[in-house]
Amino acid sequence: MTRALRPIFAIALALGFAALLLLLLGFAPGPALLALFAGSVGSGPAWTATLLKTAPLLLTGLAVSIGFRCGAWNIGAEGQLAIGALCATAVATRALPHLPAPLLLPLVLLAGALGGVLLGGVAGALRARRGVSEVISTILLNFIALELVSLAVHGPLQELSGAYPKSDPLPAAALLPRIGRLHLGVPAAAAAAALVWVFLFRTALGFRLRAVGLSARAARFAGISPEGHGWLALALGGGLAGIAGACEVAGVTGQLYEGISPGTGFTAIAVALLARLNPLAVIPSALFFGALEAGAGAMQRSVGVPSVATQIVQGAVIVLSAAFAGARVPGAARSRSR
Amino acid sequence: MPVLDGVDLELLPGEIHALLGENGAGKSTLMNVLLGSLRPDAGGLELHGQPLDLARWSPRRAAEAGVGMVHQQSALVPALSVAENLAFGAAERGFWFSPAREAERVRALARRFALEVPLAERVADLSVGERQRAEILRALGRGARVLVLDEPTAVLTPGEIEALGVSLASLRADGCSIVFISHKLAEVEAIADRVTVLRRGRVVARLGAGEADARELGRLMLGSEVPPLERGPGAASQQRLFELRGLSAPGLSESGRLRGLELALCAGEILGIAGIDGNGQRELEEVLAGVRRPSAGEIRVCGERVAPSPRALRRAGVAHLSGDRESAGLVAGMSAAENFVLKGSYDDRRFFRRGFFDERAARAAAAEAAERFALRPADPDLDVSLLSGGNAQKLAVARELASAPRVLIAVHPTRGLDVGSARFVHEQLLALRAAGAGVIVISSELDEVMALADRLLALVRGELVPVPAAADRALLGAILLGRAAA
Amino acid sequence: MELFLEAALRLAAPLLLAALGELVCERAGVIHIGVEGTMLCGAFAGYAVAVASGSPLAGALAGALAGGAVGFGFACFSVLRGVDQIVAGTAVNLIALGGTGLAVRSLYQGLPPRAPVLEVLPLPGLAELPLLGAFFRQSLFAYLSLLLALAIALFLARTRPGLRLRAVGESARAAAVEGLQVRRIRVAAVCTGASLAGVAGASLSLGLADGFSEGMTAGRGFIALAIVILGRWSAAGVTAAALFFGATSALQFRLQARGVGVPYPVFLMLPYLLTLGVLALGGRGARAPADLGRN
Repeated sequence: MTRALRPIFAIALALGFAALLLLLLGFAPGPALLALFAGSVGSGPAWTATLLKTAPLLLTGLAVSIGFRCGAWNIGAEGQLAIGALCATAVATRALPHLPAPLLLPLVLLAGALGGVLLGGVAGALRARRGVSEVISTILLNFIALELVSLAVHGPLQELSGAYPKSDPLPAAALLPRIGRLHLGVPAAAAAAALVWVFLFRTALGFRLRAVGLSARAARFAGISPEGHGWLALALGGGLAGIAGACEVAGVTGQLYEGISPGTGFTAIAVALLARLNPLAVIPSALFFGALEAGAGAMQRSVGVPSVATQIVQGAVIVLSAAFAGARVPGAARSRSR
Repeated sequence: MPVLDGVDLELLPGEIHALLGENGAGKSTLMNVLLGSLRPDAGGLELHGQPLDLARWSPRRAAEAGVGMVHQQSALVPALSVAENLAFGAAERGFWFSPAREAERVRALARRFALEVPLAERVADLSVGERQRAEILRALGRGARVLVLDEPTAVLTPGEIEALGVSLASLRADGCSIVFISHKLAEVEAIADRVTVLRRGRVVARLGAGEADARELGRLMLGSEVPPLERGPGAASQQRLFELRGLSAPGLSESGRLRGLELALCAGEILGIAGIDGNGQRELEEVLAGVRRPSAGEIRVCGERVAPSPRALRRAGVAHLSGDRESAGLVAGMSAAENFVLKGSYDDRRFFRRGFFDERAARAAAAEAAERFALRPADPDLDVSLLSGGNAQKLAVARELASAPRVLIAVHPTRGLDVGSARFVHEQLLALRAAGAGVIVISSELDEVMALADRLLALVRGELVPVPAAADRALLGAILLGRAAA
Repeated sequence: MELFLEAALRLAAPLLLAALGELVCERAGVIHIGVEGTMLCGAFAGYAVAVASGSPLAGALAGALAGGAVGFGFACFSVLRGVDQIVAGTAVNLIALGGTGLAVRSLYQGLPPRAPVLEVLPLPGLAELPLLGAFFRQSLFAYLSLLLALAIALFLARTRPGLRLRAVGESARAAAVEGLQVRRIRVAAVCTGASLAGVAGASLSLGLADGFSEGMTAGRGFIALAIVILGRWSAAGVTAAALFFGATSALQFRLQARGVGVPYPVFLMLPYLLTLGVLALGGRGARAPADLGRN
């Protein structure tokens, strides 16, 4: 089977698997799939919904890819996104709410990025300095970050009326410019994919990151520190995921609440693996999963199939695309540094 | 091209039969068929006169039938004790496992065949010779009557080789058949009763002991006489290019710990450091490459102290040809071009400028080097994991030479290479020497080290011992064992 | 104090069961980060069968079977097909989350019924002991976990199959050379480990709680992974680490009940922070099975 067809085959199989499961549990797969289709690409508003879901998936997918390329398993994009949303909201509603737009918006996005960098950096530091597996630490940090958001919206960031656990709406100066519902983050995310490609394949730092991911030992002998670069990959990935979180509050929801963009960080892993860790391929991959998520909502509303069903597709795609890849996931080698 | 082509091999009870051939001749493949790990396309196997059903032949069956193998790379589990290693095989019976009982079982065998091994210790803590004895013991414990030893002497000192010979002789007297795979002619000459020579998958000679000497065997093995290496005059001068002063470093084991090493390399000379696995070779390589931090002492290049890091050493003009090209020298998964420029990602302005990576320049340089060094295939975009051993080593050599080093540290430079590639590497090292650079060759291949070096040192239990100029293999071996002073 | 010990062991039991299962997996060389999803499946299967049959024991068994099935699926992809173990494990977690969420909504319209819970079974005589008595006033799940800890320790150290499992986990190559069926052993280890995780999940829905809710495992599977590391891959160490976490959970509830003025989310954060902290301090020097994670 040609390299290009394999991801499509994996997707088809995954959808088939999900359809089977639906059938077994008493749901009708046909109408469900149709609703999925209609809700994602069947109309103008559907496409909008898809693109809005695609943007954060793109950014977090890139975040995960960078980590995996360096041999660091970033399972923490979920928490990094949440922290980014938290920091962005804090800056927009509490710290600097009165700044004019040209200043506030970039600062808000920067705050989101820094929050993510911090979270990813903690996991990276634990890995580099204490040998703690980043698989476990990023997962634990996810839980911690989600609780921090909870803490914030019940406390310091809670809206002034104190009625619900959510933040005040962001001031207009902090919102992303948009056309209809499509915010600037959508094309920016695509641009980010191109930038990440250039970073990985045309910069010295990206070159070193890739070397570490393929053979930490040989990289060490070449003067490249595997621990340091793994740390960097986790921090950079965190930053990208943090920006995704900032874009969610500044472009989609307009405020922070618990459960903002749930599951994006985990879907990001599927996005990255389906794209075989290639930043440019992350674009179509994220589009696919964005469509899936957009369609899932429609599916639940019109046919009553719970939207969690799409997580089954995600998991199946992850494992099937890896199974049919033949070679191991590029760059995510479990290489030993000794 | 077939790996094996119509090979007939006959083993008699109570004989030591050597299977001779250079790397890639087909020796291991032939043995894998005997052991059931590989199924042949044609031909048959007979054991004690009974033909075997090759469709059902497997390592488990082979073990049950009394065929045992001792591998070149130890097939023992390092984290388990010797007794545990002897007990976990598929052919062992019994649900409960008691280390004490296992040890008892094997002790008699060990004494009988002079295979003394500490049974309660973890394999990871044993010496190479002890590991080998443990493996032989394991095969015997399972009632092996046919023993296959794959390059058993590659990692032993001459003294340990003698001890092995004694064990093998007593096994032979007991009626065992031993197949001895090797490309070491001297040992074959000394130990074997009969010799079968393979070349390119075919049997080219069958000889009895004493029918041919080492030179003749070599000619049969290679198809022609390989002219001895022409050393030529070096450009030796008094200038001290590279020095180690009082260098100590922690080791992976007690005997690997480096203690107060003193070393001086002059321009235009090749300094050979002979060492057996487990005596600090690996640690020394890592220190010289800048990857292992010394606990004391210093490294000096042209009189200037250099920080023990890969980049600092490279800036000072020290290049390193790794002993482990697959996992430490080259990055599998990256192209030949990327590997060619791998070490310059911080400093090399030709390929890495202002933070960017100039892939085109890297490819051009790699392509040019590939031409010059006759790399096949010469494609700079090819993933290096697809290159043969010889070509991968050529790429590594090309890379190190491209940095125009003052000093080259070459470790096991010809491990796993065929004769042609090995000769090429040796010639490159000699060319460096003639050009006035300094070369340190660290190797456990005594022949190689003795042929290349102007001066020899021996690395014994983490210390460097000078070797007298006229030393022969036997003396060098004794020094390595710690049995003789310089 | 006695109540505290009782609570500690009760809260530790699911962690211990899951961690013991993961221990078996990892000693055979397979890292199964899908423990979380496996526990979830076990929790749901146990709940569903217990509600349908009225017997919590049947539920526990169902949990074990469900876990084993999930483990087998995981093993098919990772051990047999060569998919990276982390990737396959992530897939398990996602599919389990989606699958159980779907199933609970399809099977129970409206509010899911309460499940029959496995009651506490005090052992006569032993239960009256001062202090130690707390260990004998537990449910079957807790007793099972302690017995299994002992059995697994014995199995690994003193039986030939256990020795083979260790050999496979340390050096698959050497094991294969000796004629061991590496893949078969690994699949068996994974299925066993996963069914223990399934029982651990059932102990959540049929013990700690009395029903199933989406995502009820709340990261316990990942804490079990950490427990294996902290316990230095030995059954004794794992037991100690699990009890430690159980004790801190019990402490957390105590403090919460006392209303120590700390906001609720902080309490929820504590187990994860603690795990991170302990890993950071004690992570170095742990010797994992040499072939862990390689297919």
